[in-house]
Amino acid sequence: MARLSRTWPCADPNGANKVVRPASGRWESLALLLAALAIIASVTGYVLLRPKHPGPPIPLGWQVRSFDGLGAVDQAIHSALLPAGEEIIWNNNDTGGWITLERAQEIWLPPFYRDAFWKTNGQVHWQLILPGGHLPHAGSDDGHEDDAPAPATSEVSQATQGQGATVYYGAAGRAPGQSAYLLVIGHAHAGVMWANQATIWVHPDPNAPYPGIVKPESLVGKGWRQVIPYDGASEVERVKGNQP
Amino acid sequence: MTVSPKHRAIWRRCLALLMLIPAIALASPTVPLGKKLKIGVTLHPYYSFVANIVGDRAEVVALIPAQANPHNYQPQPDDITRAMTLDALVVNGIGHDEWASQIVKAAGRGTTLPIIQANASVALIPIGGDQGGAKVVNPHTFVSTTAAIQQVFEIARRLGELDPGNAATYRHNALAYAARIRALRAGFMTRFAALDLSAFRCATTHAGYDYMMQEFGLFVRAVIEPRHGVAPTARQLANTVDAIKKANVRVLFAEKNFSLDLAKPIEAATGVKVFALSHITGDTYSADEFEVAMRENLETLAEAIEFTQR
Repeated sequence: MARLSRTWPCADPNGANKVVRPASGRWESLALLLAALAIIASVTGYVLLRPKHPGPPIPLGWQVRSFDGLGAVDQAIHSALLPAGEEIIWNNNDTGGWITLERAQEIWLPPFYRDAFWKTNGQVHWQLILPGGHLPHAGSDDGHEDDAPAPATSEVSQATQGQGATVYYGAAGRAPGQSAYLLVIGHAHAGVMWANQATIWVHPDPNAPYPGIVKPESLVGKGWRQVIPYDGASEVERVKGNQP
Repeated sequence: MTVSPKHRAIWRRCLALLMLIPAIALASPTVPLGKKLKIGVTLHPYYSFVANIVGDRAEVVALIPAQANPHNYQPQPDDITRAMTLDALVVNGIGHDEWASQIVKAAGRGTTLPIIQANASVALIPIGGDQGGAKVVNPHTFVSTTAAIQQVFEIARRLGELDPGNAATYRHNALAYAARIRALRAGFMTRFAALDLSAFRCATTHAGYDYMMQEFGLFVRAVIEPRHGVAPTARQLANTVDAIKKANVRVLFAEKNFSLDLAKPIEAATGVKVFALSHITGDTYSADEFEVAMRENLETLAEAIEFTQR
C-alpha cells in the first residue's frame, strides 16, 4: 500500500492546497502493468502449450482402424469376426479341433452363418484353410455358389503348410466398397493354453486371391492391412488421457 | 551367549514367516479355495451376463438399485457399503456408469477392487446419423447380440483369471449363454430373410441402437439427441426433421420407459411411425432380463421392418 509523504498542516503560509505525492514515486502503476503483462503472458503460454485433447491412436501404415478406417459393411463383418475368433480359439483349446464352416451354420455363428446379416453384408464366400493340410478339410467351404472366382482349396492349403496358422478367408462379397477378409489364428502347439491369437486383415479388392503365406510381412506386401479394433480398453485410456 | 534349541526353533519360524510376508503381499488376487466370488455389476445387462456365466459358483451383486436411471445416477451410502464387500466389479466403462468409480473410491477400494471392463475387447462403432462430421463412440454395446457375446466372453475370461478354480466352468457357461443369444438372433433372422432390408430407413431419439442395427445390416440415418442424454435445441430439431425428410425415413425408434416428448413433435412434422425400444433397464435384476428385453427389441424391430414393407 502506498505510503503518503508527511506534510505539515498549513505549511503554506498562504493557506493554499498542496498536492501530496506518494512516497513510493508512482511505482505502483509500473508494478501493476508488469503484473498484468505477466498474467497475460502466462495465460497465452498455457493456451499455446497446453496438452491437446488426446485423439485416438494413429494406426501404422499397414494397419487400419476399425472405428473410422472401415466402411459400414467391413465394420459389421469385423465386429462379427472378433467374437467368432474368440469362440473358435476356445473351442480349439477345449477340443483341439477347429469350427468348420458347416459347424458354423449349425451354431448360427456370424459372419459365416448365412442369414439376413450375411445377405445384407455382401454374401461373402468363406473358406477355412487349416495349417499344413494338402486336402480340403471337411466343411472347409461354406457351400455358397456364385460366379466369383474362389481359389482352389488344395492350392491354398499347400501354401500355408508348416505355418501353423488356421485361416478363415472371405472373398467375393457383393456389397459396394467391401473388402476381402482374413481371420488368421496363430496356433500354439504343445498344449499351451491361451496362446492362440487371432488377427483380422482386409484387402480393398473383394476378390483378392488367397495370399498363400499369412505371415504379416507377406500380407502387407500383397496389399492386405491389419484391422486394429478401437476397443473399450482404448476408449477408457483415451478418456483418462493416457492415449498417445 | 548360548541359544537353546527351543529358542532357535522359534527364531527359525519367525524368520520363515517374515520371508512369507512379501510373497503374500505380491500374490495375485485369486480367490481362496471354497470361497464364492462376490461380483458387483453396474447395469442390468451385466447382471444377466454375469449371472449366466457364474451360475451357482459366485454371487452377483447389483451396485445400485434396479429402478435407478444410470444416465443421471447420484451415488448413495448403501452403494458404498455394497462396494466395500465386493471381490470384483463389472462395468461398461465407456459410458452409463461413470458414477461407479466415485462409489469405489468412496468405499476405499480404489486400488484393491479388480475392475472388469466388459467392453475391453469390443470393437466400438460411432453413433449413427450426422454428428456434425465427428465420429463419437457409441457406448450402448449391451443393446445388441454380437457385441453382447463379446462382452460375455471378456467377462468370463477375466473372472477365470480371478477365480482359476472355476475358470473352465465360467468358459463353458459363457459359450452356452452365447449359443442361446445367437439362437434368439437366428430366430429373427429367419423372419427377416424374406424381407427387403435395403429399403429400411430409421431414426432414433437416443443413440442407443447402432450395435443392434449393425447386426442386422441396418443403419441409423438420424439421431435426435445431439449428445447422449441432451435434448436438442429448436434449430437442431429442425435440422433433424429436414434430415429425416431427405433420407425418406419412415420409422423413428424412441425409448421404452422414457418420455416420448421428443418423438411426438417429430412424428407430427414428418409422418414417421414411432416404435419404442428398450435400453434394457427394468424394475428388477434377473438372469434372463437381457434375453427377455432383447427378444422384445427384436420383435419391435421386426414389426418396424414389416411396417416399411407395406
